[in-house]
Amino acid sequence: MRFILTTFAAIGLLGFVVGTAHADAGAGKAAFAAKKCTGCHYTDGPAKERNIADQLAKKGPELWYAGSKFQAAWLKGWLQDPKPIRHLAYNSLTKKNAGDHPKLSAGDAANVADFLMRKTTSEVKAGVIKPKKSLKGKKIFTKKMPCTGCHQSASKKGKVTGGFSGPTLVGVGKRLNPDWIYAYLKNPTHFKPFKAMPTFAGILKDKDLKKVAKHVSNLK
Amino acid sequence: MKKLIKISLLAAVFGLAWLINGQTATAAGAEETFKFYCAQCHGLEGKGKGPNVTKDFPVTPRDFTNAKEMSKLSDNYIRGIIMDGGPSQSKSPLMPPWSKTILDVDVNGLIKHLRGLCKCKGKAG
Repeated sequence: MRFILTTFAAIGLLGFVVGTAHADAGAGKAAFAAKKCTGCHYTDGPAKERNIADQLAKKGPELWYAGSKFQAAWLKGWLQDPKPIRHLAYNSLTKKNAGDHPKLSAGDAANVADFLMRKTTSEVKAGVIKPKKSLKGKKIFTKKMPCTGCHQSASKKGKVTGGFSGPTLVGVGKRLNPDWIYAYLKNPTHFKPFKAMPTFAGILKDKDLKKVAKHVSNLK
Repeated sequence: MKKLIKISLLAAVFGLAWLINGQTATAAGAEETFKFYCAQCHGLEGKGKGPNVTKDFPVTPRDFTNAKEMSKLSDNYIRGIIMDGGPSQSKSPLMPPWSKTILDVDVNGLIKHLRGLCKCKGKAG
């Protein structure tokens, strides 16, 4: 009898959790529209950009694969306290990022994060990349194909150096899904048909792309 | 069978039109291509002062408006650097290889654009 009651209680709890999650995603979708996030970000994939002009016309990054790209905890926190990820304004090489991305309340942030984390793509396979020290990855990152030319990163002592045209990689280990980093290096045009970052797939070996992804996902 | 051939032909024509349209759209915009890819380091005006060139940047990106220096470079040399990166011509790896990113036809446009910036011709070879 106790077993049956426990089972019913568990099923009830599961139903509540699932029901709540759906409600949150729905509320997140509504908040996303109400806060006019759709004015700068599109969330329905696949990628829509057919040329450079299409890319440059965008006011913010596409989010149709946000659930494959970001880490949920980071996204929820960032939406409440959106510190600039880029030194320069999106799609600009001259204008500094004003740091004026709208802030969401804790409740809206949780709901919007829930909504966005459901936006995934099968191009990102789970469990391929584990954040790990990789000497070869670091060597490629800093010397062979210096990612630091366009991206900022922090040394062990916390000194931040690097270029400004790409998003910062300071704290990227908490921001990005390691498997997305590899998927992006392997097939970037699936995500961004026109991007200012060179495609390294086909130039670097696949195993080296994985090592770079390991190194990047391990950056603090 | 005839219907199948007609549909296949139609699909091929549309596919080819889409491909050509896509390629010429980028090929026509040499300045746009330059500003999108190259200006990050070389600057929008091509003077080697892009936003990535901070005090920590270990090399000086080429100034494409310097006619004296640019006239020493052949178009083939420039093509090699763009496609295969700096190290292919004993230059810095901070100039990455763009062969998997920029179409051949767009590189032709880029070279013409660079020649416009320096108002010079390259040496033969």
